[in-house]
Amino acid sequence: MMDIFKNHLGHYISLFAVFAAAFFFIVSVPDKQTQVLVASFAAFFYVFWGILHHFIHHDLSAKIVVEYVLIGSLGLALILFLLKGGLIF
Amino acid sequence: MNFRHFFIPHISNNFRAKLLHHQILSVFVLGLFLGGFLLSYFSSVFPAVLGQAIDISVEKLVEFTNKKRIENGEIPLKFNDKLSYAASLKAEDMFEDDYWAHNSPNGRTPWAFIKNSGYTYVYAGENLARGFTDSEDVVNAWMASESHRNNLLSDNYEDIGFAVKKGKLKGEETVLIVQMFGSTTLSPGRATAAVSTPSEGELVLVKSEDIKTSPLIDTKILSASLSQSIVILFIVVLLVDMIVVKKQNILRFVGHNADHIFFLTLILLILAIFTKGFIL
Repeated sequence: MMDIFKNHLGHYISLFAVFAAAFFFIVSVPDKQTQVLVASFAAFFYVFWGILHHFIHHDLSAKIVVEYVLIGSLGLALILFLLKGGLIF
Repeated sequence: MNFRHFFIPHISNNFRAKLLHHQILSVFVLGLFLGGFLLSYFSSVFPAVLGQAIDISVEKLVEFTNKKRIENGEIPLKFNDKLSYAASLKAEDMFEDDYWAHNSPNGRTPWAFIKNSGYTYVYAGENLARGFTDSEDVVNAWMASESHRNNLLSDNYEDIGFAVKKGKLKGEETVLIVQMFGSTTLSPGRATAAVSTPSEGELVLVKSEDIKTSPLIDTKILSASLSQSIVILFIVVLLVDMIVVKKQNILRFVGHNADHIFFLTLILLILAIFTKGFIL
C-alpha cells in the first residue's frame, strides 16, 4: 500500500488538496445548499479520481469502476439520508 | 454463513468482506436514499411520532447567556422587551425577505430594528443562529466563535433581547434565533453612566415563540447516529479487509481500500458539520 502512495504521490496530493478544500469550504460557508453542492462535487471528484488513478495504474476494470461509483454513491446517500431524514437547517 | 463472512476476507466470500461486495453496497445505497425519503414523509404525516425534538426558549437563552457572563466576570444582562421586539422584527424581516445576514438585501441594518422598537441605544450588538435544537447549544456555539463571544461578554451592554421564530428560510424549515444587545448608557459595566435612561414608552410587543417539540422518535438523533454508524462500520471493515489481505498476501483486483477510507473519513467529517447549526 505504501508503494502505491509513493508511486502515485501526485495523485494522492491532488485528492487530499480537493478534499481539504471541500472540507474547509463546507466549514466556512453558512449555507446548507452550497455545502451539499460542494459535498456532491467531492463525491463526483472521488469517483473520477479513482477511475483515472486505476487507469494510469493499468489495472482499471468494470468491477473497479462500479466499486468507486458505489462508494461515491454511498457517501452521497449518507449525506442525503441525514438531510432528508432529520435535519432542520 | 457467519459473522466472519460479512466482515473479514475469507474463502467463503472470495477473500473480500461480503459487506464490500457490489450487491451489498447497492443495498446500502438504495436503502439510505429510500430511508431518508421515508423518514421525511412519515415525520410530516406523523409529527408526534417521528420528528425533531426542539427545546429553545427565550428564558433559557437568557439564563445560559448570563451564566457565561458571570463565569467570565461580567455583570448579567437585563432582559429587555424593546430589544426582544427589535429581535422579533429582525427575525420576521429575514423570513419575509429570505436572507441570512446581519444587513438585509435592501441595506437595512440591525440598528434600524432597534431604533424602530423605541430602544435608544448608545451601544448595540446582534448575534444570529439557525438550525439549532437546544438553547444551550446555541449559546455554546456563540461562545466558540471569537466575534460572537466578544459580543456576548462585552461590558458595553446592559440589556438583552431575544427572538426565537420558526419559518422558511431559503426554502427550508428552520428555527431562527436573534440575540440583540444594547445599552442606553456610555459605560454600563463600569457604572459611570453619562446618559440618562429613556423612559419606557408604550409598545405593542411581538411575542416570540418558545419552541418545544418532543416527538416519540427524534429523527435528528436517529438519522445522525445511523449515518455516522454506517460510515464508521464501512471504514472499519475496509481497514480490516486491507490488513487481512496484506497479511495473507492475497492477490485481488479491486479498488484501493485506503482511497475509500480516505473518502469515507471526509464524509464522516461532513456529517458531523451538518448536524450542527449556523451562527452569524
